[in-house]
Amino acid sequence: MLNHKFDSVKQVLLGDVGTGKSSIVLRFVKGQFVEFQESTIGAAFFTRTLSMNDQTVKFEIWDTAGQERYHSLAPMYYRGAAAAIIAYDITNPATFTRAKKWVQELQAQGTAGIVMALAGNKADLLEARKVTAEEALAYAQENNLFFMETSAKAAINVNEIFHEIAKRLLQSQAPQQNTGGMILVEKAENQSKKASSCCS
Amino acid sequence: MFRPQPQREISHVFPSLMAQWRNTITTTKSTTKISPQNGNSLRTPSCSVKFQDLYDFTVEGNIDDVNVLNEVEERVRRQGKVWWALEASKGANWYLQPQISSNGEGISVASLKLSVLANTIALKKLIRKGIPPALRPKVWLSVSGATKKRSTVPESYYNDLIMATKGKVTPSTKQIDHDIPRTFPTHPWLDTPEGQASLRRVLVGYSFRDSEVGYCQGLNYVAALLLLVMRTEEDAFWMLAVLLENVLVNDCYTDNLSGCHVEQRVFKDLLSKKCPRIAAHLEALGFDVSLVATEWFLCLFSKCLPSETTLRVWDVLFNEGAKVLFQVALAIFKMKEEDLLKVHQIGDVINILHTTGHNLYDPDELLTVAFEKIGSLTTNTITKQRKKQEPTVMAELDQRLRRLGSLNLK
Repeated sequence: MLNHKFDSVKQVLLGDVGTGKSSIVLRFVKGQFVEFQESTIGAAFFTRTLSMNDQTVKFEIWDTAGQERYHSLAPMYYRGAAAAIIAYDITNPATFTRAKKWVQELQAQGTAGIVMALAGNKADLLEARKVTAEEALAYAQENNLFFMETSAKAAINVNEIFHEIAKRLLQSQAPQQNTGGMILVEKAENQSKKASSCCS
Repeated sequence: MFRPQPQREISHVFPSLMAQWRNTITTTKSTTKISPQNGNSLRTPSCSVKFQDLYDFTVEGNIDDVNVLNEVEERVRRQGKVWWALEASKGANWYLQPQISSNGEGISVASLKLSVLANTIALKKLIRKGIPPALRPKVWLSVSGATKKRSTVPESYYNDLIMATKGKVTPSTKQIDHDIPRTFPTHPWLDTPEGQASLRRVLVGYSFRDSEVGYCQGLNYVAALLLLVMRTEEDAFWMLAVLLENVLVNDCYTDNLSGCHVEQRVFKDLLSKKCPRIAAHLEALGFDVSLVATEWFLCLFSKCLPSETTLRVWDVLFNEGAKVLFQVALAIFKMKEEDLLKVHQIGDVINILHTTGHNLYDPDELLTVAFEKIGSLTTNTITKQRKKQEPTVMAELDQRLRRLGSLNLK
């Protein structure tokens, strides 16, 4: 599913309202977090390039709106997507149920061979947890997705989940020429910025 | 994230925003002050600065943008003088007299008085040039039909509605509560408890008025901007009501957003007719224009254009109807035709459209294209197109529902 010319990957973020989809993207793309993220209408678009060994993956991310009635727009965003992150909020079981529905919809309607990641977000709110990691992990294994608990707020596992997606996408492909090397510079900057904020 | 903003010379603090229009046009020129982000020299045109616009939104741009904004403020003042002069010659509130509805079903020539016709034409021209912020509440209520709508219910309607719904919890109110702090969170008034309480009452009140719409994300932005303009909750409420019930396509915000799907299809068709080169190019890239235009139509441009530009679009929207949304959306594409044709990646297309919208500080730049460069577009055409698209949209939505219904959750 990788676009051979640009190594770009269409990726979609799905999940119930308020699970932190936009915050995950903002953390990944800009290394930022804001308490009151403007609600997304329709969808918002972001890009970031990751380099994996000698290959690069340019993520073209569609961050979608969460409210139920917006779901009729979702096919437009997941059509042709090579990867998806399905987010739920570990403090809200209803969002986990909704995440399972998204998984089913993507299995039935999404791109064949789509790489799916299940993100149990808001993992910094451990004392309010309502969905156990074991339950989510068991579900993920059953359905052939990979699972991580994330916190966009505390910057836990956000880069990791995208790296894992990139790794799996590259694994599913024959090795390719690296045509996007120029973006490595941007990547290096991001890394150094991230490193400094990590230590603080 | 934001640095403290310097106060402007003329206070625009809500709710006294522009309240005394007559005074502001005679006081000294209000200059938008700017705060440099990096402490760099302000003379560098590329230096990014944050400043507040006419409606106190913090915007980020360069010195050129600040200059454009100041020029626009000046033009708004001049346009205000035109309105006052007309009021002097035609009589106070001449624009509140009966108009020939241009967003309705057509004109009944037989019952037409010449003076009414003359006023309607004059007003249409005038509104396209912009309604002064101080007059917006009065003019919007009148030309949109909100005044008429309100006159059909008892005067205490809004207060009764708010009292009756106080403390009630529904899925809509939960969603509203979730979205209130996320609605233009950096706006100085919407970030206050009073601002948020007002916005909440308007949205909750409406969710009970029309339980089919209830609350749809996107309406928070529309209602917030209506509040900033109308200055009273009740007026904002009635503008929201007339917008959803009379101005926009039916079912734009209900259930599965079917009205919104219809509008998107109509828009795609129009783009291929009015801007065939762009449409063909984007199609070749596999770029569905709805990817960006959906938000434009649901938020009525409030999230993608600077505030005064959005409100200039709304000036015309309330007077001429929903066809204006198509004209403006087409104009955004048209303005960037050459740039769009040059790029070959979806990310670049989105970037061009996004940047164009955010930097459109000069409303006339956009509206000139919308009304003069797109070719004529009538409400009739839009109505016909909607009728044509409706069956396909309904069939598709229905098919999707049935497909999803067959996937039983384990």
